[in-house]
Amino acid sequence: MMLLDIARWMDANLPGGPYLRESTYGFSILLTLHVVFMCIFLGLLVMMDLRLVGIANLRTRAFDIQRRLFSWYVVGFVLLSVTGLLLVWAQPLRYYGKTFFWWKMGLMVLAGLNAGWIHSITHRSEEAWDSGRAKFAGGVSLVLWLAVLTLGRLVAYEWYTTDYF
Amino acid sequence: MLEPFFKWMEGLAVYGASIYMGPAVNIVHLVAMVIFLGSILLVDLRLLGAGLTHQPRSVVARDAYPWTIGSFLMLVVTGVPALMATATAQYGNSIFWVKMYLLGIGVIYLFTLRRTVAYSDERRFGAGTAQVVGFASIVIWLSVAALARLIMMIPGNTFAWLVGN
Repeated sequence: MMLLDIARWMDANLPGGPYLRESTYGFSILLTLHVVFMCIFLGLLVMMDLRLVGIANLRTRAFDIQRRLFSWYVVGFVLLSVTGLLLVWAQPLRYYGKTFFWWKMGLMVLAGLNAGWIHSITHRSEEAWDSGRAKFAGGVSLVLWLAVLTLGRLVAYEWYTTDYF
Repeated sequence: MLEPFFKWMEGLAVYGASIYMGPAVNIVHLVAMVIFLGSILLVDLRLLGAGLTHQPRSVVARDAYPWTIGSFLMLVVTGVPALMATATAQYGNSIFWVKMYLLGIGVIYLFTLRRTVAYSDERRFGAGTAQVVGFASIVIWLSVAALARLIMMIPGNTFAWLVGN
């Protein structure tokens, strides 16, 4: 109930919400930017995970990809998060009522924990990036993030949706 | 001129009566898009002088190439039925046509100028040339992704001034 109260409050009080909901271009452009930033963040992250698993970019070490692309994931993720938050800002009650939205958020938490696990495996040495455990965690990352992408797309459909507005 | 062809494609009803085929094909298309953009951006960042700069351009490009081609085929295999299912709406939508023209330009560019520069020895094409080539590639492919997202969201005649539809 508490989250619903917050969503109701956001819906009624956030400035710009009605504009984003009703304008022809506001919400569309926001959603499009979210997709473009997703291509940058997830595209590069998938390249890294495929390397960790050991099936792509094999002439480059996973350690080097991580070190040289990390700042790009961070930038991509920040932009993705900002546009994602603005989408929720625009339609808090719509997303509150979407079961797939909450699954997506839950899987993103798991993906974050998995990133922490990869860090704990690899922070000690460069060689640890090539270990079996790092490979496994890379596979988990790939599965989790592609599931996040899938759920993000499913939010657009009317399945498992409750209307609160 | 192509209108009868688009009507015929839609008449084939590729998804039959299934309400799940459309979303499923769409999701696979998005997964392929993320892999495609990842493999493209990895090389373009290198051309810009960022990312995997400890490797020669050609090493990054050769490793990424099978993923670019594989994911592109996956994009076509999923994109064609997605188009067939909604062919008449796409035909009358100027954003669809801009996406297709840009996609055509992107494919030609990928196999000609970008390939030549990405596979070349750094002494043949200088850093400045590589940066321009990489930057153009990023702009083209992120624009294709953005246009794809906009097709069914903003008014279909948005680019009528450009492609006359």
